[in-house]
Amino acid sequence: MKNILRQILHARNFMIGFVTIVIILFAVSIYPLFNQGSPLDMIGLGTFFKPGTYISMYDAVETAPTYTLRLDDAAAKRVEAKLPQADRESMKKWLVAYGIPDEAINTDDLNDLLNLWNNTYDPDARPSGLTSAFRKSVARIDAALTGLLESLDVRVYTQEPSTGEMRETAQIKDNQYINVSEVINTRKLWLGTDNFGRDAFKELLAATGVSLKIGLIAGVIATALGLLLGLVSGFVGGIVDDIIMFFANLFTVIPGFVLLILISYSIGQEQRGATVVAAVIGCTSWVWTTRSVRAQTLSLRNRDHVNLSRLSGHSLPRILITDILPYIASYVVMALILQICSGILAEAQLSMLGLGPKTTETPTLGLMMFWGMTYAAHQNGAWWAYFPVILMIALVSFSLNLMNTGLDQVFNPQLRS
Amino acid sequence: MKKVSVLLALMLALTAVAAAPAAATAVIPTELPRNETLYFAGQQWGTVLSWNIFGSNQNNSLVIGGAAASREIYFETLYMWNDLDGQLYPLLADGQPEWNAEGTAVTIKINPAAHFNNGEPVTANDVAAVWNAHVKYQTGTGINGSTYISEVTAIDDATVEFKAALNDKGKPVNPLEVPNQLCQLRITSAAWIEALDAKANGDADTFKNDPAYDIVASGPYAGGYYTDETKIVLARDDSYWGVALWGKLPAPKYLAHILYADNAAGRAALEAGEVDVSQQFNSDVEKMWLEKGLPISTYIDEPPYQLGLVQPSAIYNYNIPVLNELAVRKAIAIAVDYDQINANAMTHQSATFDQIPRSLFNTTEGQQAVYDHDAVKDLQWAGKDIEGAKKLLDEAGIVDSDGDGWREYNGEKISLNAVCPNGWSDWQASMEVVAATGKEIGIEITTFYPEAGEFYAVFQNPDQTQYAIYMQSIGGSGPTYPWNSVRAAMSGEFIGQQNNGSGNWGQYVNPRIDEIITAIPQTTDEAELKALYTEAVQIYLTDIPSFQLMYRPSLFHTVNESVWTNYPEEGDEHGYPPNDCTDGYGIGALYDLELVNP
Repeated sequence: MKNILRQILHARNFMIGFVTIVIILFAVSIYPLFNQGSPLDMIGLGTFFKPGTYISMYDAVETAPTYTLRLDDAAAKRVEAKLPQADRESMKKWLVAYGIPDEAINTDDLNDLLNLWNNTYDPDARPSGLTSAFRKSVARIDAALTGLLESLDVRVYTQEPSTGEMRETAQIKDNQYINVSEVINTRKLWLGTDNFGRDAFKELLAATGVSLKIGLIAGVIATALGLLLGLVSGFVGGIVDDIIMFFANLFTVIPGFVLLILISYSIGQEQRGATVVAAVIGCTSWVWTTRSVRAQTLSLRNRDHVNLSRLSGHSLPRILITDILPYIASYVVMALILQICSGILAEAQLSMLGLGPKTTETPTLGLMMFWGMTYAAHQNGAWWAYFPVILMIALVSFSLNLMNTGLDQVFNPQLRS
Repeated sequence: MKKVSVLLALMLALTAVAAAPAAATAVIPTELPRNETLYFAGQQWGTVLSWNIFGSNQNNSLVIGGAAASREIYFETLYMWNDLDGQLYPLLADGQPEWNAEGTAVTIKINPAAHFNNGEPVTANDVAAVWNAHVKYQTGTGINGSTYISEVTAIDDATVEFKAALNDKGKPVNPLEVPNQLCQLRITSAAWIEALDAKANGDADTFKNDPAYDIVASGPYAGGYYTDETKIVLARDDSYWGVALWGKLPAPKYLAHILYADNAAGRAALEAGEVDVSQQFNSDVEKMWLEKGLPISTYIDEPPYQLGLVQPSAIYNYNIPVLNELAVRKAIAIAVDYDQINANAMTHQSATFDQIPRSLFNTTEGQQAVYDHDAVKDLQWAGKDIEGAKKLLDEAGIVDSDGDGWREYNGEKISLNAVCPNGWSDWQASMEVVAATGKEIGIEITTFYPEAGEFYAVFQNPDQTQYAIYMQSIGGSGPTYPWNSVRAAMSGEFIGQQNNGSGNWGQYVNPRIDEIITAIPQTTDEAELKALYTEAVQIYLTDIPSFQLMYRPSLFHTVNESVWTNYPEEGDEHGYPPNDCTDGYGIGALYDLELVNP
């Protein structure tokens, strides 16, 4: 036993997979301690906020102390952000369509351009040859131009609730800075938000936990069923074998995923909690384990020690547990790992079809993909709503497969180096 | 050599015929010229089954679609409805409809220029024949319409009379329903009906199930069609009579709709410029122009981007005992986070309830003016009032007595479902928000998304107890609105009615509201009318038989100006409603379209 454990610990593939899974599990269990509250809380009003640190504007205005930093490029950066070259070209296109000669417009001289623009631009004009979408985009550029070059102070006023009187509470200069760590309310959204405005990173970790749980339950059910049926079928033989193999063959012919879809659909969404979905996945994926265990049991059943046991009058369960199981235990462990992996994938596939667990109850990796897809995250460029999920599924199943390969190298005599 | 070329020409001709098995007259090229074709998305899903206006399952919504603002591209109606100003504009008719002195019948002149695509003139006789066929074969239009219209007769070739069905006082049962038919009754020729009638020999199923590939129509795009499992194409009728009305032919030569597999495919095609007009709900639509810089725009440039004409609402099922408790209905309604629904489910494509307070009516000025906003001010709620909801439930004695975190009613844990059809993303997301609300006030609400067919079959059964809270749209635009909104929300006429697709699905009972619903169509005095509508809103906001979740357009109107431009936009000089250039008065937009690169 000690020797086997040592061999396993020296199997590089196994260790890489194992450590990755442990890290993921660690993150899943530790992160909620730092970031309290339900992962399903809809905190963002709006879909797919970008990843980053969100700072309360309300608190930022009142944050003290403020620092003066004289940065040479600040004003230029501001202008570039508000009026990039592409927008200047759009302004030029509008001016040309309006009838200003091409050579009279200089997009490199901002003062010149703004002067010309302010004297010419008419939001109600409809120069011919311009689409409505273009006119609207130019109107948005125009709105952003106010005070672009002046660097005026921003004044903040508060309204007295009783009198309605406006009182100036702050005056902000263009070189005034605050330290982010001194703002009272900030929130780091590592992966932004999803379509419901939920913290996607928090949700991802919670979903990984749930998906692993689903995988584990499904894997344990499938492996236990497969093991039991395989052992009995292979060892007892005869009519029992025929009956079990009849059902196994039946399930082999019907594609497992189709069966899974049909069962999930007929259960109905109201009954579909994470555990139920896991159980359904488990109950539809026992076939291959049964067949393999049966084959191995068949090769073991006439060994001398088994016959000896039989002659000694040992009961069937005892023979199966003490004389057969130890020989196939390594295979069973490896099958379990693969079943966990396929359980996670099956949940993701089911949820993508809208047949997964209920959304409001638990987050799962599949549900995150489902809602991301429903709200066109892939078309909106909101990669954070689906790509980390794909990555996580890949990472988990890759790690589990690595563990499996590692174990195979230890236990499979043909691969043993 | 000559023989070979003749043979080749013959083969080519045969291929063209084979490629267009369903073309009525014009041969439609297999490769449509892009700058002569206007492409749609979201108007048609799946292959067309039938062109029969008397059928019920045509799956041909690009042609036979719309509501009061009827789809006018292939078949035409007497009048076009304008969602913006609530007026009827003559199409096949000439001038406005004229009521007789008693107010019991309306006379309509037929436009003398109007003719069908086979060259035959449109006459009063055709209108009467269409109506009579609807009644004779008991189509949906015939069954509903004959409650309000007793007879349609051709006085002469150019004059048709619609007689209203009268109540026991000798007044029309509902005078609003007459103009409703004038803008919804699609006209085909009496001769065509006669031929089908002879073929059906009185059998309604044969009559209604005929695919009507050869049906006669008068619209601008009744010049021929092509359909298969990938697309539907309509060709312009270059001899279209409406040149006399509009002064010219509509700009695109072809209207085409690729049959997309799902929303995502239609959206991708819109962004790629393969679709010109999209009737799909595109979440975060503004990102298309703000972030991607695409030449895409909506009718309104700012939120809510679209014209909110219907109110998707959460309907309470009174067959579920706990939902007969006002405290429960109100608690859920005031606790729901409407800002969340607006921002996350509708991605800001709905007016907020701060902008347009909840009533029974859509966001147009006309409908908003029918009731006294101040009189119902105190009945409004802001939403997300968790503490208020808890207090209401506590006061009503609906508390959590066994400490499991969920409240009980008559000793049993309250467990409700929130239901809408699968795949309707914004509705599903709204139901998720409602379900999340339940958790906060101690009422278990779980979401459930059956397929659309099953959803409708269940909630249209008046005795059902499977769905507790479910989504359905209330309100709309048309001659019967806003009266019809009151009726759809609360009318007693639907109680116990099987296959009820029209209203009060939750089986709410209130004799006073029934009196109001009966009185409104008969009332002409404006002050009196306003008082009735105000009382209806008061009752609705007090009893809460359902509650609005958002405002939604009846058609999403998003356009890509890669090929065509000059689409309707808010405040433009044309005043065409944003109806995808196909419905009601909105079809006028087709005549103003211009090529971006002529």
